[in-house]
Amino acid sequence: MNELMLDYDEIERELRLFEMEERRRLGIEQAPVEHWHDPNPQVFTRDERDTTTILLGGLTMAHDTLMTAALSGLGYNLKALACPDLEALRFGKEFGNRGQCNPTYFTVGNLIKQLTYFRDQEDMPVPEIIRKYVFLTAGACGPCRFGTYVTEYRKALADSGFEGFRVLLFQQQGGLRQATGDASGLEINGRLFKAALQAVMAGDCLNLAGYRIRPYEVHPGHTDAALEECKALLSATLRRRGSVVAALLKCRRRLNRVEVNRLRPKPKVSIIGEFWAMTTEGDGNHRLQRFLEAEGAEVEIQPVVTWVLYSIWEHQYDTRKRLTLRGEDDGIAGLKGKDGRTKVMLLWGAQRAVRAVFGVYSRAIGLEGYVLPDMDQVATISHQYYDNHLRGGEGHMEVGKLIQTVERRKAHMVISVKPFGCMPSSGVSDGVQSLITARYPEAIFTAIETTGDGEVNVQSRIQMDLFKARKRAEAEFASAVAQTGLTLTALESKLKRRGRALHHPPHIFAGTAANQVLEIAKIGRRLAR
Amino acid sequence: METNAALSCRPRDRLKGDTMVVGLDVGSTTVKAVVVDPSTSAIVWSDYQRHETRQAEKTLELLVAIGVEFNDICREHIRIFITGSGSGPLREPIGARFVQEVNAVTMEVDHLHPDVRAVIELGGQDAKIILFQEHEQTGDKRAIASMNDKCASGTGATIDKCMIKAGMDPDDACRLQWDPSKLHPVAAKCGVFAETDIVNLVKSGIPANEILCSLADAIVSQNLSVLTRGNTLKPRVLLLGGPNTYLPFLQSCWRQRIPEVWANRGFNWPKDVPVEELIFVPKDSQYYAALGATIYGLHEPADAGIYRGLDPLKTFIADGRKTTLGAKAGPPLVSTETELVAFSQEYAIPTFVEATLARGQLVRGVIGLDGGSTSSKAVLMDEEGQLLTKQYQLSKGNPIADTKELLARIRSFVHDQGAQLEVVGFGATGYAADVLEESLRADVTIVETVAHMTAAMKYFGDVDVICDIGGQDIKVLFMVNGEIRNFRLSNQCSAGNGMLLQAMANQFGLPVTEYADAAFKASLSPKFSYGCAVFLDADRVNFQKEGFSREELLAGLAMVLPKNVWQYVVQIPRLAQLGTRYVLQGGTQYNLAAVKAQVDYIKARVPGATVKIHPHPGEAGAIGAAMETLRVVRRRGSSTFIGLEAAIALGFTSVNDESTTCHFCPNHCSRTFIDTKTPDGRTSRYISGFSCEKGTVESVEALRVLESRRKALKTSYPNLVDYEARLAFRHFYTPDPIPIEGAVIADVEVKRTLLGGVRRKPIRRPINRSSADAAARRRGIRIGIPRVLNLYSSAPVWRTYFETLGIAEANVVFSDPTSEEMWAEGSRYGSIDPCYPSKVSQAHIHNLIFRKHAKHRLDFIFFPCITHMPTFVAGTQDSTSCPIVAGAPKVMRAAFTKEIDFFARAGIEFVDDAVTLQEPHYFARQMFETWGRRLGITEDESDHACREGMKALRLFDSEMERRGLELLEQLEDEHKVGVLLLGRPYHLDPGLHHGVPDEYQALGYPILTIRSIPKDPKWLARFFKDDLDRGFITTPLSVQDVWPENYSTNSVQKVWAAKFAARHPNIVVLDLSSFKCGHDAPTYGLIDNIINSSGTPASALHDIDANKPGGSIKIRVKTYAHTLKRFQEELADAAAQRSELQRRVELKRKELLRTRRAQLRENALADPRARRALDELQAVFASYLDEDTIVPAVDDAIDRERFDIAPPPPQIKALVFHRSAPGEARP
Repeated sequence: MNELMLDYDEIERELRLFEMEERRRLGIEQAPVEHWHDPNPQVFTRDERDTTTILLGGLTMAHDTLMTAALSGLGYNLKALACPDLEALRFGKEFGNRGQCNPTYFTVGNLIKQLTYFRDQEDMPVPEIIRKYVFLTAGACGPCRFGTYVTEYRKALADSGFEGFRVLLFQQQGGLRQATGDASGLEINGRLFKAALQAVMAGDCLNLAGYRIRPYEVHPGHTDAALEECKALLSATLRRRGSVVAALLKCRRRLNRVEVNRLRPKPKVSIIGEFWAMTTEGDGNHRLQRFLEAEGAEVEIQPVVTWVLYSIWEHQYDTRKRLTLRGEDDGIAGLKGKDGRTKVMLLWGAQRAVRAVFGVYSRAIGLEGYVLPDMDQVATISHQYYDNHLRGGEGHMEVGKLIQTVERRKAHMVISVKPFGCMPSSGVSDGVQSLITARYPEAIFTAIETTGDGEVNVQSRIQMDLFKARKRAEAEFASAVAQTGLTLTALESKLKRRGRALHHPPHIFAGTAANQVLEIAKIGRRLAR
Repeated sequence: METNAALSCRPRDRLKGDTMVVGLDVGSTTVKAVVVDPSTSAIVWSDYQRHETRQAEKTLELLVAIGVEFNDICREHIRIFITGSGSGPLREPIGARFVQEVNAVTMEVDHLHPDVRAVIELGGQDAKIILFQEHEQTGDKRAIASMNDKCASGTGATIDKCMIKAGMDPDDACRLQWDPSKLHPVAAKCGVFAETDIVNLVKSGIPANEILCSLADAIVSQNLSVLTRGNTLKPRVLLLGGPNTYLPFLQSCWRQRIPEVWANRGFNWPKDVPVEELIFVPKDSQYYAALGATIYGLHEPADAGIYRGLDPLKTFIADGRKTTLGAKAGPPLVSTETELVAFSQEYAIPTFVEATLARGQLVRGVIGLDGGSTSSKAVLMDEEGQLLTKQYQLSKGNPIADTKELLARIRSFVHDQGAQLEVVGFGATGYAADVLEESLRADVTIVETVAHMTAAMKYFGDVDVICDIGGQDIKVLFMVNGEIRNFRLSNQCSAGNGMLLQAMANQFGLPVTEYADAAFKASLSPKFSYGCAVFLDADRVNFQKEGFSREELLAGLAMVLPKNVWQYVVQIPRLAQLGTRYVLQGGTQYNLAAVKAQVDYIKARVPGATVKIHPHPGEAGAIGAAMETLRVVRRRGSSTFIGLEAAIALGFTSVNDESTTCHFCPNHCSRTFIDTKTPDGRTSRYISGFSCEKGTVESVEALRVLESRRKALKTSYPNLVDYEARLAFRHFYTPDPIPIEGAVIADVEVKRTLLGGVRRKPIRRPINRSSADAAARRRGIRIGIPRVLNLYSSAPVWRTYFETLGIAEANVVFSDPTSEEMWAEGSRYGSIDPCYPSKVSQAHIHNLIFRKHAKHRLDFIFFPCITHMPTFVAGTQDSTSCPIVAGAPKVMRAAFTKEIDFFARAGIEFVDDAVTLQEPHYFARQMFETWGRRLGITEDESDHACREGMKALRLFDSEMERRGLELLEQLEDEHKVGVLLLGRPYHLDPGLHHGVPDEYQALGYPILTIRSIPKDPKWLARFFKDDLDRGFITTPLSVQDVWPENYSTNSVQKVWAAKFAARHPNIVVLDLSSFKCGHDAPTYGLIDNIINSSGTPASALHDIDANKPGGSIKIRVKTYAHTLKRFQEELADAAAQRSELQRRVELKRKELLRTRRAQLRENALADPRARRALDELQAVFASYLDEDTIVPAVDDAIDRERFDIAPPPPQIKALVFHRSAPGEARP
């Protein structure tokens, strides 16, 4: 060095080398910290559409099948996941965060279960699974954990060895403006919404019809067989984008061929509660619907379209409340930069359209007397107990539905399904519902907590109240028979002439059999009026 | 029976006819059977037996007994009705009609005791309450029943387990009398929680009778607060079930607590009737369900429940159960005999051979003792570290007694061989360490985690993961270079520990030593879901019902153990990231079934894993303590131990009465004084059972010393958690007054158009003021606000709003901070069981009504449903409150108006309208709609008050940030560590954080809150520079890069704070979450990823609840303190190294410059340009090259002016805040 003339650059260079050397020597040679960032892969391009299968699931089996068919009709490859079972729960618990709610574990675990099956049973390499499949799920507004499901999917996927698997979010609240990541592999447009809504409503109609008929079928299994045929028929129709109404009319003819006897008094049990837990038909609620039917009950389910109406109602309510403020606020419900009036009108139109289409579908399949709930009415009756501003889960609907069912004698018994860890349902509605049952002491109300285990306890609690409901149904039936002045045999012989499976006698009592008796004796309609 | 019946159909004398009805109650632990004469409904025969999970076999046995007894009744004349959780599969084989158990009990009670209005039945696995109510209109009597959720204890199984832990004989328990004078806190909401508390009480030396009375009280309180679902149990109250029948102290507890509720709720009960008649246990109470089933049966058609005889049941037992299991079952623990043999050879723990001593030999060694939760272990180790003997002792309830016995055995081991023993040191770890430190003057008391690490490294050197599964706790240590890098400990609510396997073995009537042999025999296994022990037990009942055998259940339970460890406690699904060298220790490793499950689990997930079993798994803690003792005694050259003989002869007394109760705060902790006396007369006292450090002293003088020490501590190490919690509820802002009548204000006129649109026009107009009368009325109004939940973030808004409107400062009344006493007093209104922070609201409402209002009338209680909270985090999807938090006011309204309207009765209006703090205009509208009429205010006045309220909130934030900034800059200056509390706003409540932050403050670490982190993006930019440069975020206040689904305000703030902690070199994390927190759960993984990637030390306590988990907190604090100490040393070392580096570089620079100067000088004569360059160099570096120049140390502190960062806002002087000036000397 001494032989060369040092210039300033050389001095700096020399110093840098010296510093690096010293850092090593002093042991402070540290790699910079690489902080964690969530990669959140979402790219699904149009080019990939033909070679990519969209996985979906999470509603009833009928809905999932019909949704698959409807979206297939738009040119997508789809596969519905199986109904989440205990195995799915175990996957969910292994790879999910601790302390999650039960629907999270079941649904997240169900995806991991399917991917693990591809990998371990079908020997498909993980990169190929990631390339060939994407998962489509619904997002939500967020007050409860539903808003963070996608976070949970990503965590579980990464921890189970499927890092990079794409989860696409179909934002319920996003309307038509949303995009899926970077791409248009899945086009969120009017066609997609229409197809999805058609599938949802057709699925609802099919389910409602099934739960009306099955408890009274004379030959066990006939209803299910008919439903399977209907499902196939509707799927084919949706796939080729044919007339759903025409298909539903065919379904009606097929279902009406099931032989029924509605003169068997059965307690009618309305299932309400957290959306997923009351909707699923598997281990997530201990197969509650089938269990109740096996115990001799008629089940009244909540159609999925009610959830759609509730989502629309939320926006309507929030917008109306803010329309005449002195200024426009930021925030998800604030109207800054939004046209409040147009929003109100569009939402009004949307809910009218949903009701109208559902009305056509339900009449086509033969759901006599079935009316979707008036969301404003549900909100009004529940507001004093459960403020309509409180959101998350079913919001005030659990409370409103309970009040409506009791006040209108829509069922003998109400079961509110509260999945373990559900914040709005277990943490709020349950407390408020206890006040409602105190106000309405005649209500037979059972709140059950589902965890995926402890089935015996849950069933035992249901049996406890079902016993009372059964007694009430029997007393009601006896009272109806007494009002007619006819014998049961005479009534039965008259019934043969009104034997259509989908026929629904006018509502007087909660029980179908009692109403049927009054109708046969031609006093039902008069009383109903 | 049918054989006998065929011989003769003559009825026995006891029956009036030739028919009989059998009632069976197949429960979770017992089978009860009754035979009833249908003509008289009288019991003619009864029996009950524990089934030890063999329900079908036991049922068969009882039916055979009935057959023998009534051999003259023909089968067709026998009707049988069955009830109970285990009855499902037995119905069909025996032909019984099923009756749901609560219905059965209800029928029997209604039949025998028509005047009873409430039934409390505690069974083996469940608890039920039945209320009989008369319909007001119809007069019909109806029964309302509620059964426990799975998350409740208070059942026979829990009581049994706690009795064993407390060391009380069942016969003694049946004679124990209720004594409410010495009760200790026990959590009863969950069986596992209760057991943990019981263990802590045992280890604190609390006598068994007090523990069981405390348990009874906890059970009764839990049932009264939750299971009644807010209803009042009116007399007469019937007590049923095993615990209620056989435990008189439990009966008496009900008899004390239920009338307290009556008095509390203003229910007028007949005071002239003895309470024993109002709340009573009937004869034959254990048979009520079985009897009820027969009563039910008598109402059924005659062909219902015709007995099918024994053969179908025998067939069912023989092979009926197996047919349904195939598809659901999982694999066995071992598939082949060869596999078992190979496994046993590799993993069986070698038999320990004690040292053989020569007669007359002098053995010099140290004793290490591990006072564990269920057992104590001690080892004698010679000075070379060789293990000479190890001793084991099942806990007998008192740690000193257990220790004495262990020491005596060690002495015998040496003396029996004719040798002499000189104990040169004594060290202890585990629950009992503290008491032994005081009484035996132990040389060493180390935290269990460090003891286990030391023991593992003694045998296996450098390892990656140490997993210790003890009786009660699971400890998993992650090692890097022989140091604990991180650790996970089971909290209260976890299963998978040794006790679970032992309890399960007990339930099957099997010694735990035979567990593995039985489990290895299973050819399949049920698939348990991992989780809490209570849930597992519920699953076990279910699997039994499905027909899994004992062996299969045991195998299944062993296989769930690793899931509980790795998925539930550790929560790291990708085990491979932890390393490949695993050591398993803890007493559970003696159970080879558990080891097999663990080894299989780890090897399936970690390629190339080596799993070693510690050769002394049960004594690892004691070995660690002994090794540390050896080191310390060698270094110090002497021992403090009182000596073996003195220790064995140590006399001790344990006192827990009024004289030991601490009266230094309203908690009135029931303390225990353990006084020890050595043979030479030296005494010492150990105090346990206190909940704060005031309990550690006995006199007022000592308290004064303690207080002054505390003050000094607070001055040196500020606790911003405490400061924020106090400031939030204080008056610190004097609002701008509302403009006077006639003043002109700016407003916006809003008009609807014909087409439904809205037109807004700015205008100026005179203010609209309310009348002087209304203002005068407001001055007298008092408003109570519960100090809970999001009120910790928003209280300044409400206080200022009301004060602006003319309500006196003293008339805005907040409930007291949460305390155990408050909870005990006001916790019986609930009907649901959510997280404690939400549930505790009832105690605050109670406090406002029955304390504040009772002292000075309240007009309103304001508990707003806050739907949205503003957040500093940028670009969030929404800013919602947690739905439970937002809805809590509505739940409180329901709870306090359900049966009795407590508000109306007190003349208070409860105001719980929804408000959003996110949208100022809508917030103003909501507040006016809520308060306009009630306070007689105009909308202008309300709007002004809202604006002032929001100003106060901003001032609150800026004050906290100012404090935080000051603290952070000091930490950076001094290279110290500060603990950031990652929690929700209500974790500032001392009753919710249970003093955990204070524990760290006491160790010398200042505490920060999320609110106190400065939010100035310019100040933050240096920490987030890399993220900003790489485009992950556009502002330092974003969480978009780690969590796009960011809707909930408190959650996003927690995640953001974790990001900050990961990037600030002087911050470590204390993460608190409440049990059942639904919004924290999704962030666990995120926060782990964020924190782990940066290597920031973090300690999480994820399931804090109503009770203070003293033991759990202690071990975490001690272990974490070990890490923090090293971390702080590293910080100081790193700073010193950086300084050294800087110094060296500067020296090098000087050297190089000198070289250049020399070169220039050499060339200067020849080259004029070099001459000029030399002159320049001389001028520029003249001072720099001065030999005396001091090289400055590295200074990381930020240059505020350079970065254009706003100066801190002025300090609020509302509260005295202790803090030292930078650089001030610290004690």
